[in-house]
Amino acid sequence: MLNLVVCLKQVPMVTELPWDEKTGTLRRDLAAGMMNPACKHALEAALQIKEKFSAKITAITMGPPASEEVLREALALGADEGILICDKLLAGSDTYVTSLILTAAIKRECPKFDLILCGAYTADSETAQVGPQLAEELDLPAAAYVEKLEIHGRILRVRRLVDNFRETLEMEFPALVTVSMENYKPRYTELMGLEKAFVENDVIVLGAAALGINASLFKNKGSRTKVRKVFLRKAQKENVILQGTASAVVTEFLNKYQRKISTAIGKSIEEKKLNDEE
Amino acid sequence: MQINPSAKHKLIRNSVRHFAETELAPIAAEIDRNAAFPLNVIAKMKKLNYFGLQVPKEFGGAAMDSISAAIVMEENSRVCAAVGLCVAVHNGVAVYPFLQFATPEQKKHYLPKLASGEIIGAFSLTEANAGSDSASVETTAVKKNHEYILNGTKIFVTNGGVCDLALIFALTNTDQTRLQSSVFIVESCFSGFLRGELEDLCGMRANPVSSLFLEDCRVPEKNLLGKLGDGMKIGMTTLDNGRIGVAAQALGIAQGAFEAAVKYAKERQQFKKPIASLQTIQNYIADMATEIAAARLLLYQACSLKDEGAPFGCEAAMAKLYCSQIASKVTSMAVQIHGGYGYSKEYDVERYFRDAKVTEIYEGTSEIQRLVIARSVLSQLTF
Repeated sequence: MLNLVVCLKQVPMVTELPWDEKTGTLRRDLAAGMMNPACKHALEAALQIKEKFSAKITAITMGPPASEEVLREALALGADEGILICDKLLAGSDTYVTSLILTAAIKRECPKFDLILCGAYTADSETAQVGPQLAEELDLPAAAYVEKLEIHGRILRVRRLVDNFRETLEMEFPALVTVSMENYKPRYTELMGLEKAFVENDVIVLGAAALGINASLFKNKGSRTKVRKVFLRKAQKENVILQGTASAVVTEFLNKYQRKISTAIGKSIEEKKLNDEE
Repeated sequence: MQINPSAKHKLIRNSVRHFAETELAPIAAEIDRNAAFPLNVIAKMKKLNYFGLQVPKEFGGAAMDSISAAIVMEENSRVCAAVGLCVAVHNGVAVYPFLQFATPEQKKHYLPKLASGEIIGAFSLTEANAGSDSASVETTAVKKNHEYILNGTKIFVTNGGVCDLALIFALTNTDQTRLQSSVFIVESCFSGFLRGELEDLCGMRANPVSSLFLEDCRVPEKNLLGKLGDGMKIGMTTLDNGRIGVAAQALGIAQGAFEAAVKYAKERQQFKKPIASLQTIQNYIADMATEIAAARLLLYQACSLKDEGAPFGCEAAMAKLYCSQIASKVTSMAVQIHGGYGYSKEYDVERYFRDAKVTEIYEGTSEIQRLVIARSVLSQLTF
């Protein structure tokens, strides 16, 4: 049986991002939380592995008490165990300290893991650092931005998209991957699972003391990065009026915005244009 | 009774909302316009246990508590009331009587299929001359060997066009001095079961509401639900429960219209500022928010009583009466806040406005709810 660990993070709903202008950090108490989208894809990858092979999924998160919500959601979707690392002393930890804490929790609660899956990045801070840092601390082979996983015995084969090319890598268990949002579209939650997640499952809550975390890391002291400033990027709209005959306007429109249109519709329109000219 | 939503209820709401916004929101206006029942989405809902909300696990249901079930109906109706109606009727008045009155054999045979949505259920009491006066049904069931032969016409049957099973109320004793009705489990494949044309309705247009014709319809004796002559008892018990479902639908419709109105009020500029900054609009929004919050508490109170096993008929009638009234009021105010655009099909609020009205009518009109509430109150007081 494979032992899978999925690291999840609760992030504020994208529609509500209140932040404290004085400290430059998010007012997490004000925003409704949700499971970070990339983490949801990582969980989906784990669930698909579980469906194919026999596997146990442990979901881990670190955050305030409300973060338990994402663990319950994971349990409802099919995870087997939920672990919440929750301690006021650990509030404000940066990615480095977070990876040290997760390392301690994984070593303590699931030392015999085969594969750790993380979301490639989070919707709130987008550093994409915790996964790779965790791999470093646990001294594991790792691949980030993975879009496809295959398991052959103890070998993990992953495909990922980097710098506009795809590469396939192989590594041996135990290993770590961070999963992108390319594939592994998250499934909907069955109502039966939601009921079960609260009635049949318990969430294990661990504090700093239980994990034996070094006091030098408490209260943000061990963090090596600090948020200096958060600001709203100002987007400005500009109206462009194209003039001339219909065909001249269309040609100018396509020449000017071809790339943007291609990005929006997800395919190149250049070829189509050439064919039309023929 | 727990006043604040529990973590479980929050997660259920978020999950159902995510599904409804992803799957139902993009099609809600179109299926309303075309009066089209969205079979594809319904198929997905079946897999996610939407058709077995309170069915015990042993029969393949989600075994939810009543507040959870109400939240599911509420969230569907918040986005697409016609689909919310399908789920609410199936669970509230087609499945519920099985849980309450069916024999172990009937449960074993029908509940797994109902819970998985393999069969969609309908509840069929109303006739041309029997609406609020439910004792006046004219459909008859005459016993012949080991079968009952049913004859009559049922009208305004929610899910009628797609149901695989209907609970039919019919007279089993036509002696005027001792009129007696009973309930039969009638499958759509039984001979003599016919469907009428779909009704062309003002709202809830994507739900296939139709008449059902029973022409010498042959129903096996074992498909009698409850005891012979239990019709009135089963009907009233079922409607008590169904009213929780209608209240949840009405609340969901009100919530959807309210959110649309708030969004619009923040965006719409008049007098060089958003109309949300005008005190008149703020007063509307304050009233809408307050009434929705009060309605929700009334609904969850009825749900809590039901889960405690306490009598909940009066509270369910109160919840149905109040939720449907505020749904009509809130949707009307939402149209008003939208001004001329609210009267256009370009915006969703006109659909909410049309959908809300029927919640004051079906499963007991507001007038009948008042009758139920007054009787309950007066029977407890001595003058």
